[in-house]
Order: sequence, then structure tokens, then C-alpha cells
Amino acid sequence: MMEMTVSLLPLTFLLPLAGTLLLAFSAGRLGERGAVWIGTGSVGLAALVTALVGADFALGNAGPQTLTLYTWIAVGEFAPSIGLRLDALSLTMLSVITGVGFLIHWFAGWYMRGEEGITRFYAYMNLFVFSMILLVLGDNLLLLFLGWEGVGLCSYLLIGYYYQNAANGAAAMKAFIVTRIGDVFLAVGLFLLFTQFGTLDIAELVTRATQAWSAGEPLAQLAALLILGGALGKSAQLPLHTWLADAMAGPTPVSALIHAATMVTAGVYLIARMHGIFELAPAVLYLVGMIGAVTLLMAGFAALAQTDIKRVLAYSTMSQIGYMFLALGVGAYSAGVFHLVTHAFFKALLFLAAGAVIVCCRHEQDIRRLGGLRRRLPLAYLSFVVGGAALAALPLVTAGFYSKDEILWQALAAEQQGLLIAGLLGSLLTGLYTLRLIVGIFHGEPKSKAAENAQPGRGPQHSVPLLVLAVLSTLLGAWLRPDLSAVFPAAPGADAHAGHTAVQLIASATAIIGILLGAWLFLTQGPKLARLAAEGAGAFFWRWWHRAFGFDGLYDRVLVRPFLGLVQSLRRDWLDAFCGLAGQLALVLHAGLSRSQNGQLRHYAIATVVGATLMVVILARA
Amino acid sequence: MPAPLPLLSLGPFALVCAAAVTVLLGIAWQRMHTVSALVTIVGLLGALVLQLALQTPDSAETPLLVFDGLSHFAALMVLGSSLVVALLSHTYLRGYTGPREEFYLLLLCAAAGALILVASQHLASLFFGLELLSMPLYGMLAYRFQSSHSLEAGLKYLILSAAGSAFLLFGMALLYAQTGALDFTGLASEMGPWALAGTGLMLVGLGFKLSIVPFHLWTPDVYQGGPVPATMLLASISKLAVFVVLLRLVLEVPTFRDEALSALLAGLAILTMIVGNLLALRQSDLKRLLGYSSIAHFGYLLVALVIGSRFAVETAGVYLITYLVATLTAFGVVTLLSSPCRTEEASNLEHYRGLFWRRPWLAAALTVAMLSLAGIPFTAGFIGKFYILALAVDAQRWWLVAAVIAGSAIGLYYYLRVMVALFLREAADASRAGRGGHWLNDTIVLVLALLVIVLGVWPAPAVDWLAGLNY
Repeated sequence: MMEMTVSLLPLTFLLPLAGTLLLAFSAGRLGERGAVWIGTGSVGLAALVTALVGADFALGNAGPQTLTLYTWIAVGEFAPSIGLRLDALSLTMLSVITGVGFLIHWFAGWYMRGEEGITRFYAYMNLFVFSMILLVLGDNLLLLFLGWEGVGLCSYLLIGYYYQNAANGAAAMKAFIVTRIGDVFLAVGLFLLFTQFGTLDIAELVTRATQAWSAGEPLAQLAALLILGGALGKSAQLPLHTWLADAMAGPTPVSALIHAATMVTAGVYLIARMHGIFELAPAVLYLVGMIGAVTLLMAGFAALAQTDIKRVLAYSTMSQIGYMFLALGVGAYSAGVFHLVTHAFFKALLFLAAGAVIVCCRHEQDIRRLGGLRRRLPLAYLSFVVGGAALAALPLVTAGFYSKDEILWQALAAEQQGLLIAGLLGSLLTGLYTLRLIVGIFHGEPKSKAAENAQPGRGPQHSVPLLVLAVLSTLLGAWLRPDLSAVFPAAPGADAHAGHTAVQLIASATAIIGILLGAWLFLTQGPKLARLAAEGAGAFFWRWWHRAFGFDGLYDRVLVRPFLGLVQSLRRDWLDAFCGLAGQLALVLHAGLSRSQNGQLRHYAIATVVGATLMVVILARA
Repeated sequence: MPAPLPLLSLGPFALVCAAAVTVLLGIAWQRMHTVSALVTIVGLLGALVLQLALQTPDSAETPLLVFDGLSHFAALMVLGSSLVVALLSHTYLRGYTGPREEFYLLLLCAAAGALILVASQHLASLFFGLELLSMPLYGMLAYRFQSSHSLEAGLKYLILSAAGSAFLLFGMALLYAQTGALDFTGLASEMGPWALAGTGLMLVGLGFKLSIVPFHLWTPDVYQGGPVPATMLLASISKLAVFVVLLRLVLEVPTFRDEALSALLAGLAILTMIVGNLLALRQSDLKRLLGYSSIAHFGYLLVALVIGSRFAVETAGVYLITYLVATLTAFGVVTLLSSPCRTEEASNLEHYRGLFWRRPWLAAALTVAMLSLAGIPFTAGFIGKFYILALAVDAQRWWLVAAVIAGSAIGLYYYLRVMVALFLREAADASRAGRGGHWLNDTIVLVLALLVIVLGVWPAPAVDWLAGLNY
């Protein structure tokens, strides 16, 4: 019985793959209803399989194991096998991907109603789920990399989903190129590890690395740094974070699934999975925490000064992933992954609720043009309140509180006071921007026709995913905390308890202050704030934060333009001409050889005879 | 050794012959297209099943024929390919106004010839098998004789084949003069200048059938002109059978491994890979393009002949499987789009423009076939090319390695051109949808395409099976 459920595991990624193929080859014959059914159903079934396997795992019927499906080709040391790793970590990720993924697919059926190319949308979404599952289930880095590139591709395709608008295409390219920079680091890191240890099997690799390298070994540092590069790109952390805000050009369910709940947390998963290597490079691990702290603050400020709902949420995602990196950096992997899970719940909820608002207001997503929607869209309001409370870590009743509190406590236990303070400050910022968002959308007076005439969404497709995610964002979601003690080494705060209560109290106080301050500021001091942001130093900060500290401009000036200039100047250089020569030569040879194919039988016969004569002559001379 | 085993080993051959006689008698009695096709299919299927059932624990032999792992493998490939061709021919011929039943007769005779050829260990059976394979092909290529292209293809192949056979016979005569033997073991007894010259001339004859440069000139014209099922048969079983017998000669007869000859063969291999790929570059006719592509592929396969080790046999086996599956898939799509044959065949690339928007599954099958022929990972073609490269690297034949890589790089260009055409938006010729055929035809092509992917993703069973064959 136990063998049977575990052997179902490949179905989790084969079902979405089958969905993709069916949708891709239907050539639009399925119609909207069929596409929604297949797209949602395949992920739903995958979630069901995950639940079965997860139940067996939780009951202890099935332990951590590696399921080797087969070896692709075996030549010498190079024997890439397709194997699945089932343990608490991969199962946690799998549950999030299929569970939250299913709800988002379901909701998307409502969101995308009447849109052109819905088959294409679901084909991409299923392909994404397939790749993402490969990423987390792969027992070797090659398979992981395959999934890694696959999700990157799907992200590109889905950001550019509305391809008629050139800006969306540009956003898709930006996301692809920026993450690709990280991917190059990751690939080089994999090459390095393979040349050192001759294997890409993750467990084997980490074992060999711990035997061969001592802590602080330069090669270990380099390997960890390269892997970190990949994680930074995918998870939109400094300095490779600039793509995420623009990625909001895609449909909102895409933002919920890919750019909030799953793909962007792949970097967190990667570092957690490779923690054996990072433990050998303490300096790099410290860097992970630092980057997390800086990103969470930077993104928190940027979120305060956005006017687009989705961009606020995008920066908030960046900020929350910063918390996860902070946790990884202090060695509290389990806390990081826990926050990943709760974040997936409440951020998916917020994005879907944002999607509901956007559709109900006829694609108006500027906070300044919304307002007063709390009576017209009660469900969206409820979702925003619950999700926002979890995001701002409202003490005791929300899931976000438990995971964030854990991170802050571990930072203290690891004696990283700097990181702790950054985390607390970030928590204050979170309260502020969350309240600004909710007040802006739902309170006050409607500021546009679209907001005045908003019609609430109807039907279970719209309401059930929101309600389920809302429940998961509360205290109940925190009960789903996965037991990862078998996968990770003990966290720094595992044995210590001194100060835990104090941190909890301080964190709770900060969160509540943030929320109350936000409520007071945005509910009652609106006009004053607007004036403040319009003139003097306030205007400077507003603009600075609105542009997220001007990284885009900086990169544009320092990297993009010089690069384009270089490309321009190299367009007609001799090296290029030399490389082009190969193609020219092939064409000239083709033209010459084609003349021999003149269709004349006698020429063909003569060629045969001449060839035969030459052969015999050569043989005779030898 | 008069054991009952050789008789049983001859079973598949006998079944194919019996089917041929049945079709012949059937035509004499009453013309029935579907019945003829059914008899052919049943005969080939029965032979295939029997061949599968024949495990070859020890090789059985007669003076003329040998039944070992190599011939077992090749016979399976021959029967499988013939079966695919027979199945697709039925749809194709439905639109043909002339007599249709003889096509199956010719097909069965060709299959019988190929079965003899792959098992022959005697120059007499070699020649007999080769002619039994080639003669029906002339007829099949010229089958649509009302069309001048088809007639031209048949005649060209007939005349040039005759010339090739003359070289082959002359080479055999020289070998006989030197050794006084015609069986392969007897040929191995003595080496000398006449034997070497004879070997060279035999190579011309066999190289012609394999379209090795410089004996390749007939290939595109014949591929283009012949009816698609005939071309398909030519590209699959004819080439496979001739290659297998050449492989056997190289392995068993030392003059075929002579240093000078081996060097010459290496030179021909490099020439064939490069020239074949170069010729295909800007080809706008899919059938011609596949002709050039097959030239290049047999260039790659020559690498296995040049090296001629135990591993080379396995490599050749892997490559032949991958080549066959991809080629049958590609020609299968062409057949379906040309069916039922009335006017012009769907051979110009223009006919494939935007195919994806009309027949997505067929376009996908053709894409997979092209990817495989180009040797892209996760398709069968990659595994084949990987084995060839591994073999050449292992034997440290760097020129061959370089030529395989250069050839593949050039090849990618024209395979991609075909794929691009499939996905272009404007459908040039919407009538070329190839609909109306039996659903079974589409299924066959899709199964073949699936096989290309399965072999690429999970090659282990096929490779293990090949490695386990006793040779």
C-alpha cells in the first residue's frame, strides 16, 4: 500500500504536463470551458496525489526516500538519472505548489473569463506547475536546473501574455534577462561542483563536499556564492531584484502563482536544499542574511510609495522574501521555509483579491482612482483585511505572525542584533504600507467612475479560492507548520529560550504600532500626507521610493546603455565578419555542389565511374 | 548443420513470400485493393511476431544465410518498416486510378529481399538479396508512370543501379579470383591486390545504394520523383539492409578492414557528411531535403564501419533505430498529406506552411522527426549521434569527430527551416490538410513520433536490448 502511493509521485508532474500538451494541441477547439476544466483539473488531480502521498508521509507509512525513475544515458561518470527526492522539504514545497496552485488555477477561470487565448494561458500555467514540481522534486541538480529554466521560461511567457502591448513584452524580456544573469551564476556553480565531485546528485554532493572541504574553504565559498547568485535572480533580491515590479504586467493570477507564491521562492528553496554547502561557507551565509535584511527594508520603503495595487504587492513580496533570506542567513532554514508557506497563503490571497478588485473595477489598478469599495466588494474587502493582517503579522490570530516571529527570534538567538532590528523596522513598514493599500482601495470616497460602478464577482469560482486562502492565512494556516527537523540542522534558537518572550512582545508591539499608525495616518491624515509628498524633502523621498531607490535608472546608465553601445560598436567588426564567413562559405559550397545535381543521367553515371576509378587508383597506390 | 532451427529461422521470410504469392493469386482472380492490403499487413505482422518470438540463443546458419543477433535486429527493423509503409500505402493508393494491388506485391518482394540481404553470409545470397530488394523498388518508384517525375525516378534508379550492380559483380569476381571462395569465411582466407581491388569495387556498388558521396547524385531526384510510400521504403529498408550487410562484410572479411581501405572509407565518411548537409541547405522541396539528409546520416553511420569494433556494431544498431524511426515519422507525415494521391504530392515546403494551424498533431510529429534528425537532446536522434560521437572519440578519430560536429551544425539550419515553415501563420494551401484518411494512419504517425521521444528520453531498454544481442 505504502509503495503504491509513493509510486504515484511522478503523476504530480506528469498530470500538468499532460494538461499542457492537451491544451497546446487542441488548437483552440476546446473552447473556454474545456480549457478551464483541463487546466484546473490537471493541477487539482496533482494536488490530490500530493495529498495522498503527504498523508502517507505524515502517518509514517512512507519515509524520506529517493525514487529513481530511470537513468537517461550512462557514459562514464556522466549518468544523469531522473530521480525524485521525497522528504519533508520537497513535500512541503509540493503541497504549496499544487495546493495553492490549484486554487489559483480555479480562480483564474473567473478572472480570465472572456479573455482571448485562454487555452494558451492555461497551457503556460500547467507547464509552469510541471516545471516547478520538477524543480522541487529533482534529486539531482541537473533536473533541478531543468525545472529552474522551465519556470523562467513560463514566467517570461506569462508576463508577456498580453503581447499586443509592447511594454509587456519589454517587461517579460527584462524578467527573463535579469533572472538569466543569476542563472548563469548558478550554472557555473553547478559546473564547479561537478568538476570537484563528479556528481550532481544533491545528497551525494553535499556528503562529498562536507568530507572534502572544511568550513571557510575558498572553493566552498565560491560555490556557495555562485549558487546564491542564482537564488538572488530568481527570488528578486538585491541586486537582481529590478524585474519583479515590472513582472506585474502579466495577468493577476500569474502574479499570484509565479511572482508571489511559488517561483520567486525557488531561491529560498535552493539555498535551503543546498544548506550543506552554505554551512561550509559561513561568510556567504552571513551575506545571505545581510542581503535579505537590506532587501526587506528597501522593498518596504518602495512599497510605501507605489500607486499601483500590484506594484505595492510586488514590493511587499520582495520584502517578505527578504525575511526568508534573513532566516536562511542565520541558519534558521526551517523558519525560512515556514514563512515561505504562510507567505504563499496570504500573498496568493492578496493577489487574488487584488485581481477581484481589478476585474470588478474594469481593470483599474491605480489606488488613487479607487476608494470606497468596502461596501460594494465585501468579499474582496474581507480577503484584503485577512491577508493584510497576516502580511502585517497581526499577533496571535494570523499565520504570518507565527512565521515572522520565529524568524525574528532566530535572528536574536543567532546573536545577529543588526538583522533583528532590520526585521523589526521592516515589520513597522509592512504595517504602514498594508494599511495604505487597504485604506486606499476600500475606504474613503470612490475616486473614479470605475470604482463607483464596481460590480462584485459571483460564483464559487470567484469566492471559494478566496475563502479557502483566507482561512489558511489565519491561525489555522500556522498549524500546518511542516516538521522539517529531519532535513535541516538544528536552528540557532533550538535550545535557547532566553529572550524569546521579549522578542515576541516586541515584535507584536511593532506590528500593532505599524498597523495603528497606518490606520491613523491614512484614515485621518490623508490630505496632509498628500501635501507632504508633493513638496520639499517629502517629494524627494516620494519620488526616490516610488522608483525603488532608482536601481532601474542606475542599471540603465551603468550596464544597459554601455552594453548597447558596445554592441553597436561591435556590430560590424572583423570578428563578426569572420564568424559570418562560415555561413557564407557554406552557402557558396552549397551553390557549387547544387550544380552537380543537374538531373542528367549521363552526368550521374560519369560521376559514379570517375569516383570508382579514383577509389581504385587510391587503393592501388596504397 | 541440418537442424530444425534454420527452418524455423526462415519462418518470417517464408511468411512474407507466402503473402506475396497470395497477393499475386488474388490479383489474378479478382482485384480487391483492401483485401490485398490486408493480406500484406497480416503477412508482415505475422512475420514480425514470429521474428520477435524467435529468440536467438545460438546463431543458426545455412551455407548461404546466418541467423544471429545482427540479422535478428535487422529483420525486425525491416519488417516493422515495411509494415508501416504497407499501412500508409493503403490510404495513399485510394486516390490512384491505375491498378493498385501490385504495389503490395512489390512491397512484399522488396521486404523478402531485404530479409535475405541482412542474413546473407555468401556473395551469392548477397547479390540475390540485393536484386530482389532493388527490382521491386524500380517498379514501385515508377508506379505512377503517368507522371513523368515518377517514371523518371524509376528509370534513373534502374539504370544507375544496374551500373552499381555491375561494379559489385566485378568486385565479387575479383575477390573470387583471389580467394576462390564466395562465402564470407572463405573470403577471409586470403588477402592480396586483387582482393583489395575487388573490395573497392564492391564498395562502389554498395556505396551507391547507400548514396555515399560521390555515388549519391541519384538520391534527390529519385526521392523527389517516386511516390512517397516507395521513397519511404527506399529510405528505410533498402538503406538499412545494405548497411547491415556491409557491416557484416567489414566485421568478417579482413580485406574490408584493410588499412588503406579504412582510410578511404574514413575520407568518404567525412565527404558524405559534409556534402550531404551542404546540399540540403537551401532546399525547398521536403522530399529532396530528406534525400540529402539521408546522405548525411549514412555519412555518420560510416563512422561505425570505419571503426568496426564490437561497440561499433551496437552504435550502428542504435543509430539505425533512431534514423529509421525519425525517417518513417517524417515520411509518414508527407504520405498523409499527399494522400490520397491525385495530383501533385505534398513535397514542396510551401505545402507545409502553417501546417500547425491546420493539423497540429501532424505538425508536431514532423517537428519531432526534424528535431530527431537534427540530433536535439530528448529525441532519439540525439542518442544515436551521441553514440557515434562517443565511438569516434573513444577511437580517437578526431577528423571524424570534427566532421560529425560540423555536419550536425550545418544540418541544424535546414531542419529548423522546415520547422519554421510549419508554424508560420499564413496557411498557403489549405487544401493540403490530408484529412479524410483513416484515423489509424494518424495514429501510426503519432505513435512513431512518440517513439522518437521515448527513445530519446528513455533509451536504456533499447540500448540494453541491442547490447544483449549475440553477435
